[in-house]
Amino acid sequence: MVLLLQVLVSGVLLGGLYALMALGLALVWGVLNIVNLSHGALIMLGAYATWFLYTGAHIDPFAALPIAAASLFALGYIIQRGILNLVIRGPMFNTLLITFGIEVILTYLAQLWFSADFRTINPSYAGSNHALGGLTVPYVQALAFAIDSVLTTAMWMFLLRTRTGRGIRAASQNLVAARLYGVDPKRIYALTFGLGAALAGVAGGLYGTVSQINPYIGGPLTAKSFVIAIIGGLDNPLGVIAGGLFLGVVESLTALYVGPTYRDVASFGMLVLILIARPGGLLGRTA
Amino acid sequence: MHRFLVLLASVLLAAPAWAQTVTFGASVQVTGPVANTGRYYKDAYEFAVDKINAAGGVKIGTEQRKIALKILDNQSDVNLSVRQYVQLLAQDKVNFLLGPFASNFVLADSSIAEKSRVPMVQGGGASDQIYSRGYRYIFGTLPAASDYFGSTIEAMTKLTPRPQTVALLYADDAFDVSVAKGTRGALERAGLKTVIDARYSTNASDFSALLSRIKSGKIDAVLVAGHETEVLNFIRQAKSLDVSPKLYSFTVGVPSADFRQALGADANGASGMSAWLPTAALKDRWFGDAEAFARAWKAKFGYEPDYHAASGVATVEALVNAIEAAGSIDAQKVRDTLAKSSFDSVYGHVAFNDKGQISMPQTMIQIQNDKVVPIFAAGRFINKLDYPLGPWGDR
Repeated sequence: MVLLLQVLVSGVLLGGLYALMALGLALVWGVLNIVNLSHGALIMLGAYATWFLYTGAHIDPFAALPIAAASLFALGYIIQRGILNLVIRGPMFNTLLITFGIEVILTYLAQLWFSADFRTINPSYAGSNHALGGLTVPYVQALAFAIDSVLTTAMWMFLLRTRTGRGIRAASQNLVAARLYGVDPKRIYALTFGLGAALAGVAGGLYGTVSQINPYIGGPLTAKSFVIAIIGGLDNPLGVIAGGLFLGVVESLTALYVGPTYRDVASFGMLVLILIARPGGLLGRTA
Repeated sequence: MHRFLVLLASVLLAAPAWAQTVTFGASVQVTGPVANTGRYYKDAYEFAVDKINAAGGVKIGTEQRKIALKILDNQSDVNLSVRQYVQLLAQDKVNFLLGPFASNFVLADSSIAEKSRVPMVQGGGASDQIYSRGYRYIFGTLPAASDYFGSTIEAMTKLTPRPQTVALLYADDAFDVSVAKGTRGALERAGLKTVIDARYSTNASDFSALLSRIKSGKIDAVLVAGHETEVLNFIRQAKSLDVSPKLYSFTVGVPSADFRQALGADANGASGMSAWLPTAALKDRWFGDAEAFARAWKAKFGYEPDYHAASGVATVEALVNAIEAAGSIDAQKVRDTLAKSSFDSVYGHVAFNDKGQISMPQTMIQIQNDKVVPIFAAGRFINKLDYPLGPWGDR
């Protein structure tokens, strides 16, 4: 029983991190209709940014997260404004190819600049935990979960309540009407992509604090984020949280009861089932 | 620009000398997810070839020839590496092949060597599968994967208190499956009870379910056959979930400097194995001894060599020695002299069994105070094993 509960706790915490990874991808996908294949590479850069700030400037990784997010926001803004905007009206295949190209470039630049050495963000408190009646709750994962919940709620509020947020939603729903109401699509798109990148930056910093960093972590993280975005649906950020948690728990239970090699079978199997049963995602509107 | 012109000029001037060289070709993981270990092989080949050329090169009959090296980057892609070996033989006309890193690569690439009847000496693949196909042109300097945990298990039987229960975890690739197969039998013969025997997907990043099982089953010893990224995650998650078996040992990572650096103090207590330790007792024709070799390597590349590096150097030396013994660069003759190899190197004594694989004992090692300490070899303890490992809070 304790074993099951422990695995559930681990699954939920893992799901929180998954959700944060997928949040930026889902935002960009939902608003810009771009499946950003470089999302994982942005997570990787966020991880390196946090690592450099921690090991080079001795800034606590959690304090470094906003800096990493800001740098990634700038990078995302530039990528959208300078590159993606040129093809945003083209077929989806073009943006897929371009973001794939960006992924390759970022990954290989990372190997050139940072080498293929493994890095970890490892402050003294990483790995410490709280024992709770036989259960072990790791602090960093719990904190990551909290940050994820706060960011998701904040983003939801931002999209619902602020003028810019409404602009973003309007642009995704009806571009012509949005423009008539004074929404500048170029600015809104760059802002959205920048936000997506900033979220990837935060996710990267947290990922490096619980896992390991090397230039090639991006690809699998993009795939994972993609699955979560589909499972959760693109309608609202809460769906992404639901998708992340669902996947985290399903994977953990599969690893416990079926076998660790079946994790990916379970997660991609879920993807197929969701696409058949609820194409709009767990919390999405069904068509 | 200036340097480029000088380089170009020197290449052009040297061109007539090309006819006098013997060319070794290899496809190595210079980039891609396996680049971290792949670089040992690129560095090892260049380091060894430079050293041998500086000493005059390879002696064929009465003639001294320099060695040329052609290394291609396979981007950690097995299919690309196969095509590159075809290219090395068909287009670049290299004389002999050196290997890539990792068993799954060697498994595929060795078929090209076999088909073309050109010997490949490789120091990066240990899986028993490589040698189970009756190939005659593949020679390997890594000892059998099935025996990687041999010394560790022997040491376990001599520990007090003796570990009662064992968990064996392994990734689902050629090397780690071979390790698990051999380890399973060895554990049984040693009378150790394997309670968890679990295979996981290569590149798995979450071990919380397995770690929770280890914790709730109060497993004494955990043996993991996997890749460095997995082992890093395993140890970090073991700490965060407060899982502390009395002993844990890993097939990779422990001997590698950047692995220890990434984990810092959390690496302490992790055990592993290495067929090679840089001691002055290992004498070498070109490098003097292994200690001097390790120093020279660190000075040149800025990181410490591990057994991959020494194994890579040994493959180059094996080819050079075989060519000299054959007195020819004829592929068939060199294959035959390779099969009879017997020489001492920085890596140890190199000789191949009838399948083409080296036989070498593994030394059990452990990280203590951020350093690799040899623990157990040849049936006896060399240093004290930190055992049983205390809970994470006390470390």
